[in-house]
Amino acid sequence: MTRTAGGIEVEGTVIECLRNATFKVELENGHKVLAHISGKIRKNYIKILPYDRVLVELSPYDLTRGRILFRYRT
Amino acid sequence: MNSVHFTSGMGEHAAVITRVAERQWHAVEDDRTVGRGYASRRPDGRTFLSIDAWHGAVFDQLADAMLADLPTPLYTVVDEADLDLTSHWERVGFTTRRREWEYLVPTDPRVTGLGSVLPPSGVTIVAVGEAEESPLRTLDRVVRDEVEATVGWQEMPAEVLPRPDGDTLVDPSKYAVAAQSGEYVGLIRVVRVTRQPRIGLIAVRRDRHRRGIARALLAHVLGSLHRCGIATASAEVTESNGAAMALFEGVGARRASSNLEFVLR
Repeated sequence: MTRTAGGIEVEGTVIECLRNATFKVELENGHKVLAHISGKIRKNYIKILPYDRVLVELSPYDLTRGRILFRYRT
Repeated sequence: MNSVHFTSGMGEHAAVITRVAERQWHAVEDDRTVGRGYASRRPDGRTFLSIDAWHGAVFDQLADAMLADLPTPLYTVVDEADLDLTSHWERVGFTTRRREWEYLVPTDPRVTGLGSVLPPSGVTIVAVGEAEESPLRTLDRVVRDEVEATVGWQEMPAEVLPRPDGDTLVDPSKYAVAAQSGEYVGLIRVVRVTRQPRIGLIAVRRDRHRRGIARALLAHVLGSLHRCGIATASAEVTESNGAAMALFEGVGARRASSNLEFVLR
């Protein structure tokens, strides 16, 4: 887990792609969050699939929400 | 660069927006970064924006600051299923320029019906990674010229990478080609970065259209992926490209999602 000026960044695994452009991600600590993808990922046409390892920034307002910042190559 | 856009009267989420770099803006609230905006310039010369914010009000503040700083036209890409983000961009004046469908393409010949498809007489398929770079580059130039797909091609910007001399990058390890009479006449580009390969481009010289070459290329690539144990590939198709949509839907591809390219003129 990394704390940055923008919030908390945690690695996790995508466990489900939901219909409304969100993803269910299981974090390293076992917690599950709902995450959107970041604008940079969207602009670069990077696809997120189940079982992808990702870096998630948690919302400072709601720790059950997040944003996928990075998809690791697997 | 640190131009600051002070904001007030935004209710619960009043952030200070700062342009922290030429193409980057931050929204800070209570010493916390609660939003970020980025602008990037594509090889075709267009500027694309993205905004990540935890609240709609912060999104609006970042958008206001970025739009005040940047000349139009400006572009962005949204997943059409992301209704919140779509409405945010529409609220600040962006409108849809084009729609792109993402297809999931089955590879199993029993599903695609491509198992018995052979190239037309006189045409041979050169497998992925076995094409020669020079004739491949020549074909790439020909097909791009035919559809005016230069570095300024706006229908597939992700595929048109810049080079100092204005040419495009062609990596033979990602292409299978159709050859006839000693020259390349069609190509298909397949990228296998993740578990789900992406078909990035299928093109056939205009004077060899309507002979089944694209279908033969697709049959070759999908068959190879199937033999490697890969069940599906992905492909993005611009909605206005009826021929490509018919090709993919004809082999059982299904629409999985869609992206909208927005523009603010």
